[in-house]
Amino acid sequence: MFSRNHRSRVTVARGSALEMEFKRGRFRLSLFSDPPEDTELQRKLDHEIRMREGACKLLAACSQREQALEATKSLLVCNSRILSYMGELQRRKEAQVLGKTGRRPSDSGPPAERSPCRGRVCISDLRIPLMWKDTEYFKNKGDLHRWAVFLLLQLGEHIQDTEMILVDRTLTDISFQSNVLFTEAGPDFELRLELYGACVEEEGALTGAPKRLATKLSSSLGRSSGRRVRASLDSAGGSGSSSILLPTPAVGGPRYHLLAHTTLTLAAVQDGFRTHDLTLASHEENPAWLPLYGSVCCRLAAQPLCMTQPTASGTLRVQQAGEMQNWARVHGVLKGTNLFCYRRPEDADTGEEPLLTIAINKETRVRAGELDQAPGQPFTLSISNQYGDDEVTHTLQTESREALQSWMEALWQLFFDMSQWKQCCDEIMKIETPAPRKPPQALTKQGSLYHEMAIEPLDDIAAVTDILTQREGTRLETPPPWLAMFTDQPALPNPCSAASVAPAPAWTQPLPWGRPRTFSLDAVPPDHSARACSVVPLPPQRSPQTRGLYSKGQPRTWLQSPV
Amino acid sequence: MSAQWAMGQVKVPALEPWGPAVYSQMAVSISQQRVEIHKLRQGENLILGFSIGGGIDQDPSQNPFSEDKTDKGIYVTRVSEGGPAEIAGLQIGDKIMQVNGWDMTMVTHDQARKRLTKRSEEVVRLLVTRQSLQKAVQQSMLS
Repeated sequence: MFSRNHRSRVTVARGSALEMEFKRGRFRLSLFSDPPEDTELQRKLDHEIRMREGACKLLAACSQREQALEATKSLLVCNSRILSYMGELQRRKEAQVLGKTGRRPSDSGPPAERSPCRGRVCISDLRIPLMWKDTEYFKNKGDLHRWAVFLLLQLGEHIQDTEMILVDRTLTDISFQSNVLFTEAGPDFELRLELYGACVEEEGALTGAPKRLATKLSSSLGRSSGRRVRASLDSAGGSGSSSILLPTPAVGGPRYHLLAHTTLTLAAVQDGFRTHDLTLASHEENPAWLPLYGSVCCRLAAQPLCMTQPTASGTLRVQQAGEMQNWARVHGVLKGTNLFCYRRPEDADTGEEPLLTIAINKETRVRAGELDQAPGQPFTLSISNQYGDDEVTHTLQTESREALQSWMEALWQLFFDMSQWKQCCDEIMKIETPAPRKPPQALTKQGSLYHEMAIEPLDDIAAVTDILTQREGTRLETPPPWLAMFTDQPALPNPCSAASVAPAPAWTQPLPWGRPRTFSLDAVPPDHSARACSVVPLPPQRSPQTRGLYSKGQPRTWLQSPV
Repeated sequence: MSAQWAMGQVKVPALEPWGPAVYSQMAVSISQQRVEIHKLRQGENLILGFSIGGGIDQDPSQNPFSEDKTDKGIYVTRVSEGGPAEIAGLQIGDKIMQVNGWDMTMVTHDQARKRLTKRSEEVVRLLVTRQSLQKAVQQSMLS
């Protein structure tokens, strides 16, 4: 069914056209001369192929598991981009061929259908809640199982990925900081979102193999490992329809599995956070299985070009209110849901206030031709809006028939775009240009916080007395419960320092860490970048010889837990 | 509920009429509160609707709520909106002294959590201390 191409190491359906192209070593379908957008695509394809070669070399040179995970991720993303670009090139060529052969010169052909404008789609603040079993989450003993996860997003032929995040059972959510922007999306877009995970710990029998043997094995497949690889390829192909990512046949390297996926469309676009359902794709037997709660929260915003770019501009004459013969000359700019009329053409660029702004929305009515308000003027158009009970009409005059036609065309296109982009045309949604992502630095090992902390000091009475003698204002005599109800005992002496009431300098607001997943899934996700895992200088009164208290150094964290 | 003025009163030189000096008087009061929280059942869990931070095994200098940065007590770091803790009157920044009679000033983080999440208890009675800042600032007139 599938063959593995040795040169490109990509799985391709046997006998397909793509496979033939691979065999011939030709990635260029140059039956006809390439139109400019195809050369752009071709350039991207060449770039991805070069990136992939680099990623392969990097993967071969990796010694640490975490570096190998990053390199494998880059490799897989490059592979899938290559396939998607090639598929798109193929489609365009086929459309071209069909277009050329299907039309006869004598046909007038149907008029070009109106197509909606393109837009920018941005998805950000992605957060996937996890659902650990109570025993796992609170036990925190023994080995900490860790996973590396990332999201792959595809819109049309463009594929983008998020950063890779290490997940262990102390996390309640997987939060991605990156925001992903797609340009050139139509209102009928389908944004496919896939979550991939891999174990950070080595899986399989080749963990302990010496390096020479491992490299030998990675280039050729023995019988049993070959069977295993084929089985995993089949299982990957069988699980869920067409995952974007291809399985890598590299033996011994980390393997990413598809954990969940979903598809978002225009209906999901909103200027705020929403929760969507995830289709879970793997089950517990899969080594990379994570207990996902089953939803993903994100902010999906879309900016159609008609809202951000001017769609028409030109000279107009506006009829002054009530006066038939008095027309003011203005420079009109149609942008978004407004027609701005400026005094001079330069004003539009300098940010001057327009003389007049006419709203254009779904309810607006436009009429053209010779109108009652302006008899004898053939090139007029009127724009009417309903404000409550009043109807306000503006009458505009254009310079010529062609000008009138182009204004009408622009207005019709705008109405069409508004009907296609729906809620995106009510107001402009803000989209932040994503900052260029930093290359992945050396990944610090996020071990279990509990491993680095004190173990049960109350077992050691001596350690407890040590703590007590070191504490300022030790409070050994706590009043018995409910006593204050009967007496006027003052509160416990609190050794708060006299003068300072300033908050600790490092904090501006408390960071919510563990969130109970039953409350407000739609809230803004916490910023995990400042989570408490920093090394803090030790306060002076802690003496280093507290015996039995700190087994692995001083506590560097200030943990927060939901109850 | 008893309120007590702690020793944290600060006075800066007295007001001089028409002088440029600004003086402010700041005081911190500490009150003890008794909070009775009825746990909410969510599936097979009983939740209280707040988060705790601190413990003798934690680093106290990272505590944003404590006056004394060597205080290793248990503090309330977050109160969920509409949850049992908010309804009972627990506030963010409260320091938990006792839970159902058990001391919470000398416990590890995990022990604190366990004392709050006992499955056999549907109601927990907390003794907390709460700081409230009162500031009276007077500005003199500048001539």
